[in-house]
Amino acid sequence: MTRLSRGALGLATAALTLLVAAPTPHTAGQQFADFSYAPPMRPRVIDAEGHWRWPFIYPLRLVDRIEHRFVEDRTRPVSLRWWRDGAVLSADSPEGPWLPLGGDPLGRDVFSRLLKGARLSLGVSAVAAAGALLLGTVLGALAGFHGGRLDRILMRAADFVLVLPAIYVVIVLRATLPLVLSTAQIFWTLTAVLALAGWPQPARGVRAIVRSERRQEYAEAAVASGAGWWRILHRHLLPATAGFLRVQVSLLLPAFILAEATLSFVGFGFAEPTPSWGVMLQDAAQAGVILEAPWLAAPALAIALCVFAVHSALGRAYPGPPSHVRDKTS
Amino acid sequence: MAPGLIRYVARRAGSAAVLVLVVSSAALILSRAAPPADAFGTDPAVLAADRHRLGLDRPLPEQYLAWLWRAARLDFGESLHFHRPVSALIRERAGNTALLGLSALLVATLLGLPMGILTGSRRNGPAVAATRTLSVALLSVPPLIMSLLLLLLAARTGWLPAGGLPDIPPDAGWTGSVLTTMRYLVLPTLALGLPMAASIERIQSDAIRTALAEPCMAAAAARGVPAHRIVWRHALRLSLGPVLAIYGIIIGAALSGSFAVEVVLSWSGLGQLMYQALQARDTYLATGCAAAGAVCLAIGIFVTDVAAALLDPRLERAV
Amino acid sequence: MARTVRTLLICLGLAALAGGYLLIRRPMSPTADHAAGPAAGDPPLRGGTLTVSLRSEPGTYNRLIDQSAAGELLSLLTQAPLVRVNRVTDTLEPWLAESWTTTDAGRTYMLRLRQGITFPDGTPFTSADVAFSFAALYDPRVNAVLAHDTYAGGKPLTIETPDPFTVVVRLAVPVAAGLRLIDSVPMLPKHRLQAALDAGTFRDAWAVASGVKGISGLGPFELTGHSAGQRMIFARNPRYWRRDASGSALPYLDTLTVVVLGDQNAEALQMQQGALDAMVNGEIRPEDVVAFRRLAAQGSLRLVEAGVSLDPNLLWFNLSPSRRADPRDAWLRHRSFRQGVSCAIDRDAVVNTVHLGAAVPIYGPVTPGNKTWYSGGRPACTYDAARARALFAEAGLTDRTGDGMLEDAAGAPARFSIVTHQGHTVRQRTVSVLQEQLRLAGLTVDVTGLDPGALFERWSRADYDAIYFGVQASATDPALNPQFWLSSGNFHFWNPRQPSPSTEWEGRLDDLFRQQAGATSLPARQRLMADAERILLEELPAIYFVAPKVTLATSTRVRNARPAPQIPQLLWAADTLAAVR
Repeated sequence: MTRLSRGALGLATAALTLLVAAPTPHTAGQQFADFSYAPPMRPRVIDAEGHWRWPFIYPLRLVDRIEHRFVEDRTRPVSLRWWRDGAVLSADSPEGPWLPLGGDPLGRDVFSRLLKGARLSLGVSAVAAAGALLLGTVLGALAGFHGGRLDRILMRAADFVLVLPAIYVVIVLRATLPLVLSTAQIFWTLTAVLALAGWPQPARGVRAIVRSERRQEYAEAAVASGAGWWRILHRHLLPATAGFLRVQVSLLLPAFILAEATLSFVGFGFAEPTPSWGVMLQDAAQAGVILEAPWLAAPALAIALCVFAVHSALGRAYPGPPSHVRDKTS
Repeated sequence: MAPGLIRYVARRAGSAAVLVLVVSSAALILSRAAPPADAFGTDPAVLAADRHRLGLDRPLPEQYLAWLWRAARLDFGESLHFHRPVSALIRERAGNTALLGLSALLVATLLGLPMGILTGSRRNGPAVAATRTLSVALLSVPPLIMSLLLLLLAARTGWLPAGGLPDIPPDAGWTGSVLTTMRYLVLPTLALGLPMAASIERIQSDAIRTALAEPCMAAAAARGVPAHRIVWRHALRLSLGPVLAIYGIIIGAALSGSFAVEVVLSWSGLGQLMYQALQARDTYLATGCAAAGAVCLAIGIFVTDVAAALLDPRLERAV
Repeated sequence: MARTVRTLLICLGLAALAGGYLLIRRPMSPTADHAAGPAAGDPPLRGGTLTVSLRSEPGTYNRLIDQSAAGELLSLLTQAPLVRVNRVTDTLEPWLAESWTTTDAGRTYMLRLRQGITFPDGTPFTSADVAFSFAALYDPRVNAVLAHDTYAGGKPLTIETPDPFTVVVRLAVPVAAGLRLIDSVPMLPKHRLQAALDAGTFRDAWAVASGVKGISGLGPFELTGHSAGQRMIFARNPRYWRRDASGSALPYLDTLTVVVLGDQNAEALQMQQGALDAMVNGEIRPEDVVAFRRLAAQGSLRLVEAGVSLDPNLLWFNLSPSRRADPRDAWLRHRSFRQGVSCAIDRDAVVNTVHLGAAVPIYGPVTPGNKTWYSGGRPACTYDAARARALFAEAGLTDRTGDGMLEDAAGAPARFSIVTHQGHTVRQRTVSVLQEQLRLAGLTVDVTGLDPGALFERWSRADYDAIYFGVQASATDPALNPQFWLSSGNFHFWNPRQPSPSTEWEGRLDDLFRQQAGATSLPARQRLMADAERILLEELPAIYFVAPKVTLATSTRVRNARPAPQIPQLLWAADTLAAVR
């Protein structure tokens, strides 16, 4: 891992932790009736007279509801406050809430929902990725170590799952479940479904590595000295797959973040009013709306950033061409 | 054709058929949730008659056998939601998805291959760094997000139609309709094709690198063959095998990806149809869509398998 | 000299352009009811074509068995009734019947048919076709969806045809609505359909699968092409009987193209991009209004205010006896619970968030848009959080655990689900607001979005707690909506098709409705309906929250638009709709 990607990984982890753990300014469901489609309220440090001051915001006043026009009330700046009511930063004034990323169609705080959504969206993907890796490693190692009939059956199954049009299968599966599920039930269902769809790729890789390593002398020696198969796997063979698994994480995690978003977006994942990123994107998917309230696409940006961070931190490095190829080939 | 190759092709065709059968059967069994009704407020007696006519009141095994028998004759039953034969609906929509998928594949190939060749054959330089960054960036913006961003762009600028299928009047001329279609195709194609281009870039880059590492390449370099000739004539040809093999998987990605693109950008293809079918709990339609998706995928995998086998005779023995 | 001339010419050109622009931009008045035909000085209106969008497709071309919006549109365009309700003035107009007289205290109507009307194939239209149409309507093998709406006192109308141009309609009891009962019954060609009716295959006649060739009607247009999933093309019916004030034959349009666009986003987009001249089920969603207003300001389309909607959405609870027994029934079916729900909702918040202000709060099924019948009645409690808690306590729901949420007598949380229409943003967002406000009142609500078909299926199995949905009623007169008011009706949402009224208040409702249908003076009927509405507001089997103010969009090419508050707002008068060429 290069220094750069280590740095990116650290940064991404820090950012994600902050994102997931930070208390939100408002609850995710709170509706401010006068703040439908309110634009983001940006913190400022220079006031209307040009003086520097402690970070503050100008509260918004509704001018035209149906055209969602708001004006900033420049006469009454509201200072930001640290740590009040559990929120890192808050600036609620009698005139209304502070919506750092604007309001959604129901006047809910997009920022708070984005943070709450991060817990669900990233949580599902992380747990599912871990599950898929675990399942894939165990099955791949079993197939690679024992070979024979077990190997053939497992790999046939892996091949089959691999070529299924995943999204269709997941959606059909979800459609068979009861309509009303609690958020926790949806969380674990999605996790299980994604893990079941994601195991073959790591399994195939682990199997190949275990197979080739098993023929190495040290493994043969371990077998000869009477070590149990689990011990051989666990002590000798699996460590060889670490690099491969890291790359797999970089593939599975983004794929699952996206899968959650897509499923919730089309109504087969989390459901309103649960704020997952896919649910939030439903509001943004109309040309008329996204033009007037581009901040509703914030979850799209969040997804892209997360995926980018995972790719650049964990992704496969470019080893570059072999040395006999000179640069400047023109 | 060698007998080995024929056997290989037959085996691949067999596994493709199994894939289609299993996917569509699973879909029928899974989506046999309560089938819906006609318009709101219809007399229940009429509905029961409708369901009886469509065979939805029979036990599952019987229904399944009947469905299989009819599916073998390309008759997938009638959609409850659209009141039309499923096969007609699928034929209509599959054309749109195929158009979108093929144009996206074309864009992805035209962008991804040169990018991959560049990053795979050079060590560094601003062009390589830029291409790599671009590739990671594109890979981070999957079709769902890309279509939302493009939707925003189109709505802001008004340069291109922000989604929807072109409505070509029946009396439009040939050039006119092609031009209109192209205008409407740009957005979904980019949304689907750009992330695919990044995947192709990665694979092509790896493949070129592997090809260049072959001893014969080093030998050629030692003989003084110019580097660009090595890359473009020899390594490229060697690298195409693995890249081609991946197209089967990419067709699956295109199907899955086009689902999001079609829903966001209102492109009425198979993905959108499947979406509508599941929303309406329309058993036969959902099954038909899944079957159609599986057929596309099976054909894609089959064709790439055979192409790869033709390019690289070792494969037929290996599998 | 030359320069002066040039300047003058440019000025003239600019003035002409500005004049033309102003002409195009001349705002439409929504309520003005122009006489059919061009006003003096207007360019001739005849000719041209318009393209409109429809969200669904007809399942059959046979109106008698198709209740869908598409079926109704098809009938309005290609067929004609004996008499027509003008949806703008809300008066009954002579249509295929040119005049009528009433005798026998409103039990008998004698209609005089217009002479010289022919079907598109040249066959003359006579009273035999009328008798045939009603025979098909009431034939049990046809099981027509329109049949129940055309009963008087629970009995079919009887039709007699003393001569080819006279029709006598007899009603079992006098009804206030009179001939409005038959406004939606199309006159069908006997020579085309008699064989099918005799053979018992009438339901299969005019199926979409057998093509557009065989269908025929007396409406302004003929369906000449239908590519399933894409469009229907309607061409002028050259034998259409109606003429405008200046004597030129209607319809004005040469062709009308109906594009099938199932997706609301796609529809709004195409309208904004100018690909459509109007949307059939036409109102603009609140969130699209800004974009439409901007385009209207640029002059690229026009907005028409069509008044307050007549078809509000409603929340109803499952009161059907066929529902599976549930421990929650003790409170879920309690009247105080429903009153509490109605009382816990701040309707202004729904107006402001979901409709961005473009709606009015309502409490009962008749909206202020229905000028003749709106009574302004309200339930005892309109919005009062403390009162709502008290009502919930009456139903047995109190906060036993001290967490702010309510529990029933057994200690189980007060939790129920609302099913609503997936993909319908207004309905989904309204339910989201209800959910949040009920949470503040102590109730946990699960929301499930379903496609209308799946939603209907659950409703017909009585497998739900509550549903938030809405259906269109094309008539303003409540007497024409017995399906909703009567306990035996199909649209008696909370407990449809009761063999006999299952509650005392539903019995009273039935009585009041029947009295109303039999009364003949309007004030007496209005009083009776207000009484009936008061029962609904007391019992609240269905809870109403808001009625949107409808804004329609048309392209600048549309002329002679006469928007009605009901769907299809513009195409109900398709024969006088015109286009700039």
